[in-house]
Amino acid sequence: MADHGVLSFLLTTLEPVNFAACFFGALLGTLIGVLPGLGPAAAMAMVIPLTLKLGPTAGLIMLAGIYYGSMYGGSTTSILVNVPGEPASVVTTLDGYAMARKGRAGAALAISAIGSFVAGTFSVIALQFFAPLLARSALAFGPAEYFVLTVLGVVLLSNLTGKSRSKSLILIMIGLILSTVGMDPIGGLERFSFGIEAAQGGISFIAITTGLFGVAEVLTVMAAKEKPIEVLPVRFRELYPNRKEMKRSVGPIARGSVLGFLIGLLPGPAATMASFASYGLERSISKHKEDFGKGAIEGVAGPESANNAAAGGAMIPLLSLGLPFTPATAVLLGGMLLHGITPGPFLLRDRPDVFWGVIGSFYLGNMMLLILNLPLVGVFAKIVRIPNHYLMPIILVLCAIGAYGDNGALFDVWVMLGAGVLGYVMRKFDYEPAPLVVGLVLGPVMERSFRQALIISQGDASGLWASPLCLAMWGIALLSVILPMIFQTSILTTPEKGI
Amino acid sequence: MTTRKEIASNLVVILFGAVFLSYTTRYPLDTWESPGPAVFPLILGAVLTILGVGQLVRALWKSTRKDHREEQRDGGRSVRESLLRNSGEGKAIRMIAIFILYLLMMQWIGFFVSTFLFGIISSRLTETKDWGRPIALSAGLTLFCYLLFEVWLKLSFPRGVLF
Repeated sequence: MADHGVLSFLLTTLEPVNFAACFFGALLGTLIGVLPGLGPAAAMAMVIPLTLKLGPTAGLIMLAGIYYGSMYGGSTTSILVNVPGEPASVVTTLDGYAMARKGRAGAALAISAIGSFVAGTFSVIALQFFAPLLARSALAFGPAEYFVLTVLGVVLLSNLTGKSRSKSLILIMIGLILSTVGMDPIGGLERFSFGIEAAQGGISFIAITTGLFGVAEVLTVMAAKEKPIEVLPVRFRELYPNRKEMKRSVGPIARGSVLGFLIGLLPGPAATMASFASYGLERSISKHKEDFGKGAIEGVAGPESANNAAAGGAMIPLLSLGLPFTPATAVLLGGMLLHGITPGPFLLRDRPDVFWGVIGSFYLGNMMLLILNLPLVGVFAKIVRIPNHYLMPIILVLCAIGAYGDNGALFDVWVMLGAGVLGYVMRKFDYEPAPLVVGLVLGPVMERSFRQALIISQGDASGLWASPLCLAMWGIALLSVILPMIFQTSILTTPEKGI
Repeated sequence: MTTRKEIASNLVVILFGAVFLSYTTRYPLDTWESPGPAVFPLILGAVLTILGVGQLVRALWKSTRKDHREEQRDGGRSVRESLLRNSGEGKAIRMIAIFILYLLMMQWIGFFVSTFLFGIISSRLTETKDWGRPIALSAGLTLFCYLLFEVWLKLSFPRGVLF
């Protein structure tokens, strides 16, 4: 594709409807990031019906805005209230809140916003170069390769929660099973719908997602004891770091951007892992180790840059291979499918307007967030003080509308409630719901490619590993199962490190 | 998570896998040359059941190695005691009950009226002591839903005897 073509697609972001979608997405994302409990996955699922009205480009720009906006918002409450709005901002509380208590809240917020902007922009530039390369190489994929790729995805994604791999696999299987409800993707035979008309088209992805992430979060928040929250004050004129703080932040921002982007390419809670990895790195190489935990600016700059870069990195497997590596990108994938867009190698060829439009919106969104976040930090921080008994019913109603709006069927709202109760119970039993959503999204692709591959090879199962590409992916899948087991065994059997 | 909870959750997984597996037999398997609609679900059901059994064996193995006197003490507590200990759970259960009522009412009195009532009742039953703020909040929420989703997005909500 000619460069001027790419540029014109990138500039589609500036069209009024796309611009407005980007602004509202980023704003909503920031609000969601501020609120503890409700994450970007639930928020994105809730607004999917609303985005359908906007069309694919603007709709996906809005969803993407919520995704990266939440990364920005999470840091505001970490610094001012000591309550991380997002798991990725947990580590920011250590030094961010300590800085706020010393009267440097403004500097911490400014560095966090600048770091997020720099890292976000860096990851978008990298995304712009790497995603098309990966997508072009994936064009050689046939059904067998696609099937093995989804198997590889399942194996890698079993580490999605960072907790028990077998529990994650169980949930992915349940998600895959739920995806078989409705029409069989090859023959069109109706399966597992039990005569329910609304289930004939399959289980609503939005209903499951809003239930597992939205309703379950509401119930978890309701069950937890509500504590009075003290918001530390911040004045507009304080919103600048001094020269020393700026100088100390340059290195952590640069390192956090690269580290975060690379971690974003891995399956799992990338943004959270990236922020912790960056904090560890900065503490280990810092000349001011004693300041960490007491208000070191590096402890804010590095992790905040890393979690934003990771959010951009996680878009690469989604846009180029159609594989969501995080719960939020799984919802984004679901949103794309509902808009009639199939992410993966053909996205760039078939819908360059959407592909480049979404990437272009990242540039714009990062800039908007920088402008939006600094003057409005005080307002955002106050939102966290809204009592749960007012906020939670609102979220429940919006979840119900999200689930209902998908097909206009009350059955989907019941499914959402069922998924919500299931998600709540799952948390009690130490099961994280994210892998289930991934299974639900990957299911149809996996089944279709599996059956097509067998049809092409005339029932010869060796067709599933005949090509070098398939073999390589099977090898990676096998290694990613075996290596952690060997590693774990060696840790358990080494007396010095034994548990 | 306690071993007892782990065993219980794995039994549920195995049961679900087994029921699903048996249900797949209702659909045609066809041949390997042209696999039918039951093949993929059959594989999934089998893998799920195997994973559940694996987890159960692991949990049972752990339970035999663990001194679980403490667990037995926990298990002896009555449901009432347990609810009193976790008063938050009660709030979540109340919210689920109110939401079920909300969905049932929706088909009878319509979406907007039931949303208005849901906002008030859920706020009142969970924490709020006064009436004014829940009513104002509910009215605002209902109006917002009406203007955004019904008027602008043309989403058609269930209508009832009132509206």
